[in-house]
Amino acid sequence: MIRTVGLRKEFRTRRATTTAVAGLTLEIPRGRVTGLLGLNGAGKTTTIKILATLLRPTAGTVLVDDLDPLRDAGAVRRRINLIAGGERMVYARMTGRENLWYFGRLYDVPGAVLRPRVAELLELVGLSAAADTRVERYSRGMTQRLSIARGLINDPAYLLLDEPTLGLDAPIARDLRRVVARLAAEGTGVLLTSHYLAEVEELCQHVYVIAGGHHLTAGSPAELTARAGCHRSVRVTVTGAGPEVAAAVESLAADLGAAAVLDRAADGSLVASLSHPGEIAGPLAMAVVGAGGTLAGLEVAEPTLEDAILALNDRAGMVSA
Amino acid sequence: MSVLSFPVQVGWATFRRTWRVTRRAYPWSYFIGTLMLGVFTVGLAHLGLQAIGGGQVAAGFTAATGSADYLGYITVGAAAFMFTTHGVLWVGKALIEEQRAGTLGALLLAPARRLPYLLGFAGFAFTAIALEVAVLLGCALALGARPAAMGASQAALAVLTLGVAVFGMSVVLGGVMITAGEAHITQNTVFFAIALLSGFTFPRQDLPVVLQWLGELVPTTAAMDVIRGVFTTGAGVPPGRAAVAVLLGLAYTAAGLAYLPRAERHSMERNH
Repeated sequence: MIRTVGLRKEFRTRRATTTAVAGLTLEIPRGRVTGLLGLNGAGKTTTIKILATLLRPTAGTVLVDDLDPLRDAGAVRRRINLIAGGERMVYARMTGRENLWYFGRLYDVPGAVLRPRVAELLELVGLSAAADTRVERYSRGMTQRLSIARGLINDPAYLLLDEPTLGLDAPIARDLRRVVARLAAEGTGVLLTSHYLAEVEELCQHVYVIAGGHHLTAGSPAELTARAGCHRSVRVTVTGAGPEVAAAVESLAADLGAAAVLDRAADGSLVASLSHPGEIAGPLAMAVVGAGGTLAGLEVAEPTLEDAILALNDRAGMVSA
Repeated sequence: MSVLSFPVQVGWATFRRTWRVTRRAYPWSYFIGTLMLGVFTVGLAHLGLQAIGGGQVAAGFTAATGSADYLGYITVGAAAFMFTTHGVLWVGKALIEEQRAGTLGALLLAPARRLPYLLGFAGFAFTAIALEVAVLLGCALALGARPAAMGASQAALAVLTLGVAVFGMSVVLGGVMITAGEAHITQNTVFFAIALLSGFTFPRQDLPVVLQWLGELVPTTAAMDVIRGVFTTGAGVPPGRAAVAVLLGLAYTAAGLAYLPRAERHSMERNH
């Protein structure tokens, strides 16, 4: 397990000291995809770079399988790897195959293991046909795919993913999500940051939310949306609705303290929408039917993780302009 | 189980990588371009000797250098300077070039240590330089230079001594470059300083005493005495100076390797 306690990172210049991470305590176990979410400047990338041994924390402790990255950097580096969506991290004048071979040597992957692994990884990221083409001739997406393969070259016990699908075409991003899910199922510990919150919802069993380097909350995506008190939206379409139906909807909204929006569709049907954190689809349907209306449609939109993150950040007063 | 131990494997992989990349980046232009400096230096020395000295050197030069062969003296100095500057350029700039290419993070993530990685660059650099120096010596011999003829073991020992000195300086410079985030000013300052202090193209006895002592802090100064002893005067390897050059080179290497982790972290923080 990767464990941090009171992790803190300050960047000091002659003029100022900036605190990027302020006392984070995290646990990233094997066999689970853990999310690290927050708006820009929340401290996600700094945290990942500390865990990857690229930055040294100002205070706090990091342990990777009980190894201290400061004292046992070599052993820790054999266990981890990092894939960063915004960075190239591969050599432009070498081919995809040469890149993977070189990085395999830097990770002490034995030659007999490395040869098939390079071929497998090239296949995995869809670069088999371009394996012997120089990276400088790759598209941005192809380069990113090679970076992903590089991040898997040492078969890491822990994979740190910083916006890994940034700039990837949808099918490749989907394939990467499948790979990440499979790696976690096989026992790899994964830490994921992503601006694509649907990706986080799909992959992560546990999510830490941070803002301004501080820990805000943690839990499963479902727990976070519930905890954030985000509103469900319920929309009903009512045919043959007279003024009493509209009045019943408004009365229910007033009783619940919910916001109601009433509108007429092109065919004359009444469309009523209510937003509320609680379960209101049933009461709304009963109110409509009780007032003599006929339900032609009912849609419930559950709050998303994105709604929850925005709500939590709003609450923390950390939303950037 | 890998046949090669991990450090040897890293050094060899880095050597192959650098060879490939350089061949692709500079098919012939790099080789020719770097050779021109040495050829012009020897060519200008030849013209100067003929036009100003009438093909003769002053008795003072012979007394200071132990040789009356001015062209041979300049040729050895130019070849050694080429060896030094290109060694520094390849090894010292290795990490800052990684930084510029966006691959420094990927390199630092890996468990490979920096010494074998830099030795891989040094292996490539000294192989490439050997070719350039061979062509330079061919041109100089054609112009009439006559370096002292010593045995192969003496010559190899002298070149190895200079190699250790240059490598040590390069490791320190590599750290300075990634800390400063620039290479141009750093490398040119160093090239100017060693050209002045280490006796590549004129006898160090011509320098003020303070600068002569300052030169003793630079590993290439003692290494040049070894080179001169073998290739200019023909007296052979001076053991004391060889020991100084190697010890200083190793001390610079140790200091550079101790400093590099801090320089690398500084670089990562600056680019964060």
